[in-house]
Formats: sequence, structure tokens, C-alpha cells
Amino acid sequence: MTETLTSKKLAITFFFCLIALVAVMALCAVVGTQKVSLAKAFSGPADTPGKNIDYEILIGVRLPRVILAALVGAALACCGVVLQAVLRNPLADPYILGISSGAGLGAIIAVLSGLTWSFWGGSPIAVFAFIGALITVWLVWCIGYLAGAGKSQVTTLLLAGVVVNAFFAAVIMFLTSIAKSDQVHSTIFWLMGNITEKSQSVLWVSAACIIAGIMTLFTICHRLNVLTFGQDQAKALGVDTAATQITAFALAAFITAIAVSLSGLIGFVGLIVPHAVRLVFGPDHRRLLPVSAMIGGAFLVVADTIARTIVAPAQLPVGVITAIAGGPFFLILLAKYSRKVSWLK
Amino acid sequence: MKKFSILLLPIVVVAGFIVISRYQKLLSLPTDEEQVKQPLISTQKSRDKTTRANKPQRIVSLAPNITEILFALGLDKEIVAVSSDSDFPAGATNKKKVGTFWQPNTEAVIASKPDLVITLWFEQQNQVAETLKRLDYPVLTLKIEKIEELLTAIQEIGVATGSSQRAERLAKEISTQLNDLQSKFDSGYKVKVLWVVQPEPLRVAGRNTFVNKLIELAGGENAIGQTIQQYPPISTEELLACGAETIIQTAMGTADTSEQQKAAEKFWSRWKTLPAVVNNRIYVVPPDTVLRLGPRLCQGIKLIANCLHPNENI
Repeated sequence: MTETLTSKKLAITFFFCLIALVAVMALCAVVGTQKVSLAKAFSGPADTPGKNIDYEILIGVRLPRVILAALVGAALACCGVVLQAVLRNPLADPYILGISSGAGLGAIIAVLSGLTWSFWGGSPIAVFAFIGALITVWLVWCIGYLAGAGKSQVTTLLLAGVVVNAFFAAVIMFLTSIAKSDQVHSTIFWLMGNITEKSQSVLWVSAACIIAGIMTLFTICHRLNVLTFGQDQAKALGVDTAATQITAFALAAFITAIAVSLSGLIGFVGLIVPHAVRLVFGPDHRRLLPVSAMIGGAFLVVADTIARTIVAPAQLPVGVITAIAGGPFFLILLAKYSRKVSWLK
Repeated sequence: MKKFSILLLPIVVVAGFIVISRYQKLLSLPTDEEQVKQPLISTQKSRDKTTRANKPQRIVSLAPNITEILFALGLDKEIVAVSSDSDFPAGATNKKKVGTFWQPNTEAVIASKPDLVITLWFEQQNQVAETLKRLDYPVLTLKIEKIEELLTAIQEIGVATGSSQRAERLAKEISTQLNDLQSKFDSGYKVKVLWVVQPEPLRVAGRNTFVNKLIELAGGENAIGQTIQQYPPISTEELLACGAETIIQTAMGTADTSEQQKAAEKFWSRWKTLPAVVNNRIYVVPPDTVLRLGPRLCQGIKLIANCLHPNENI
């Protein structure tokens, strides 16, 4: 298959995926544990709360959730794509560079310290998780940079990520064991990943950051294509591998840190969605990245809708649904399209 | 591809402008710190309180101990929805449910059209409280982790629901009963108690828990010394050295405890040197009066006291 990707084809694919994403979001916004009548909801907010509950539920509760799920799903899927390309490892997911344990450590420190201030409408847990994630990635990068040299740098980075993850996970375990019971429960709940309603300001800021990050990652996609051939090949073809790697890591870490600070650690999306999209649309990153973002967003929106309706009035953590739903679906795709991908031969 | 990147650059710049303009708007919004200093009933905008009736008619409670307090204040008709683990008194089980204590369902809360929502202060319920405040629902958030906080909370609920006199009476009743119990057991031998939270792996309640406070009020002493953890797992060595004279275990669930009692006695019988096993002072107690900080606190303390001093009439 040597069909070339033209701008027109890319634009059409992107457009259709965007329509699909918006349709999925709209559909999931009207599904929930309470019946909401659309006509009443669109007649606008009432003067006193409690008069137009359809509006409040749809616009005040469900819409922020759906938007957040789409943002987080897009961010995680994009990171997965980028890291799998740069690290040349099909098992790379957004948390491989220590982000998960760094964010978890930040979160548990925030819970234990019992702070009540908030920053830009985000809770202290979110801010600490964000800072923790970024510091950890910087630490892993330093270790990888100092210890590795040239060819083995990627391997050293992966190993450094694994070691830092393990160390911080042990610290998290220790802190969890000495915490009060409701603090422990809060932390574990946060670590399982969940989508909640956030305020408008938080949603706007994170949307701007995540979308800007994804778009900037899109600009290096053609270099990622070349990078997947290997460092030496890429250098021979004139790609500045060091700069590309640094840009990719920095942006991926940034948007994953934002996603994690908003919703905790939601696994599976960053690992499986890039593979699934690659199986169907091919490995060209200029198409893979935007489509993965859309599909990742749609996937998480659907998973969150299932998570909040299936055992009503309780809610499951989203991570449970992503794993249960994603696994078999991916196996089906794998069986059907495995001829296209060279890794699997 | 270069054309693409040039196209995207202005979009990124515009996004940046949006962020900056939001930042300027955000600077003028009150931070959460200021909101915490305001009275605990808060909505996003400050509404004219006189337009709203002083006595809320539709109250939603998101915790079982809050439900018990509301019923004790005689507000059973005003309660429209409770969390699913509110099981006392019997009237609470007939109310509409809005999710569990750990995960309240915001949509269900809104669908019950409340004019007062009472929550506890911890992360998951805080998030629901924030969402409800954004939608202009009056929310009362309480911190009930100690006995003094329970008494303050009862009074705050009284003020919020327009039943301050009954609340004062209830708080006074509870505190008088507590003082009576305390003075009864103040002097006299303190029975060594091991409060088991989980038998396998063995986890007990340590000294800086509120369960410890109940034990002390009932005339006992925790067999375990000071630990950094609130609910420490302890080793067998430590268990044999602690010399516990009574072992109290909380039952799982509220079903019949006699089977759990037999299982517990069997479990503990392997450590024949413990004074509690020798004298067969092993008790399995139902958790809702002792682990819930609510109006039935004194009942819970009496229950513990009966376990500690089985020969006395309490």
C-alpha cells in the first residue's frame, strides 16, 4: 500500500473524525441516570435554582463532564502516539516516564497536608499532581541524559522511568499506610482515575493548553515519521533527532501532566487507542496523531458515560471501563487488520 | 507540511490570547480561600437571604450521621433524599437515594430539587459541593471527625434548618450523657482493649483515632501504644506482648452478628496466652453506633462499656 497522504485527504479524515467526536459527545450528554428533556433544557437557566433542573443537569453537570472526558482522552491518546514513536516501543504509554507515580505522589502529599486553598479554581490535589508529574519527568530526563549516551539513550530513559516509577510508588505506599482512613480512600480513589464536573475556568484553561500542545505536536509529526526508522537513519535523512526528542517529551509530559491533574490516572487509553487507530488508518503520524486524539476523546467519553450509568446511583471509576471495554475491542481489531502492521508479522 | 505549521501558529497564538484574557477575568473572581472564610452555607453568587424562606423544606443529606442528626431534630418530613448507606432510623430507608457516601450522584441530588444540601468535608463530597454551589444551591459543609466537632455540627445544622432550639437541646443532651459516662468510669481500673478493625491481616485502631476516645470514655485503655499510623497493622509478637484483656471487633455489615462472633472466637482461640482469650472476652459489635459520629454516640459508648465491664450494670 503506497497511497500517499495528501493535505486534502488529511483534512477530510480530520473533519469526519471531528464530526464523529462531536456527535458522540452530544449523544453521551443526553444519557444519564436522570431523564432530561432537551426542550426544557434549551429554554435557558431559570432565575432560581431548582426550577429548571433539566438545564442544570445537562449544562451544569453533564456537559462539563463530557468535555473533560474528551480533553483527557485526546491528551492521553496523543501522548501515547508520540511516546510510542520516539521511544520506538509499542508498549509505551503516557505514564512510562514516571508521570503516574509523580502525579500520585503530588496528590497524596496534597491530601495529607490538608490544604484548602485553590489555584485558578483547581483543587490543591490537581495543582500538586501537575507539579509532581513535571518534576518527575524532568528527573527521569536528567537521569537518562546523564547516564545514557547516544545510541542507548532511549533505553536508559525507559529504565530510568521504570526505576523512578517504582521508587515513587513505594513512597506512595508508605504515605498511604500512615494516612487517616478517609485520606487513604481519597487518594486511592484519585489514583483510580475519575471524571468529575469542573468549573468553567478550569475547563477553558486546560482546553487551551491541551489543544495548543496537541497542535504543536502535530507540527513535528513528519519528523516523528522519520524517527521511527531509528536514530541513525533519521540523522542520515537530516532530522534533528535531539531537538525532536526533547520537544516531543516536553510537550507530551506537559499535556499528560494536565490530563492527570484533572482526572487522576486513567490507564489504557494512551496505550491502546494509538494502536487501534494505527491498525485502521496506518502508521503515518500526520494522520495518526489527530485521529488518535479524536478517537481517544470519543472513547473516554463513552467509557465515562458507561461508568456513571451502569451501576447507578453509584459510579465506577473510568479506568475500570476503559480496560474492560478496550481489551476485547482491541483484540477484534487486531485479528481483523493485523496484516497491515509490520510489528506483528 | 511547512504551510500547515505556519497555519497552525496563529491558532496557537489565538489560543494563547484566550488564555491570557481568561486569566485577567479570573483575577477578579474570589478565590476559594475567601469563600471558606464566609459562612459555611454558600452559593456562587450571594443571594438575598430574605427572598429565600429561612426554613428549608427540601433537605438532602449525603452522609448517614447527618441523616441521623436531621431525624433527631425532627426534620423527617423535610428530608427528601439521603445517601444510600443512611440506614437509621427506619424512616431513612424509605427516602430517595442519591448515591453512596463516597460517590454521591450529583444528577440525582439536583433532580430532588433541594433547597439545602448538607455534606461532609472530604475530597469526593467537596467536589460535589463545589458543583452544586456553582449551580447556586445552598450547601452546608461540615467537618465531623471528633466529638467536639459533632456537637458544633449539630448546632450548625440547627441554625441552617431553623431548628436551633432543638439542636441546642440535642447537643446539650449528648454532652450531659458524655459527662455522666466519663465521670462514671474516670476513676477505677482501665481495662486494656484491643480494637480490631480487620482480623487478617491484623489491623487495630491506634491511639489517635476517635475510636480511642470512645474507649477512654468507656473506662478502657488502648492495649497498643502510640503509633504513627492511625490504624496500624501489628505483628503477632506485638499482639502477644500487648496483654489485651478485651478484644472488640466491629462486625462487617449490619447482618446477624452471632455467626461472626463464633468465627471471631475461633480465630482468636489460637493465642491462648492472651488474657482476653483466657477469660473469653471477645466481642463483635455492630458498627453503626460506634463508628458513626452521630446522635447515637452515647449508645455506642454504653455498648463498649458493657463489653469492658461485663459485671457492672450500665
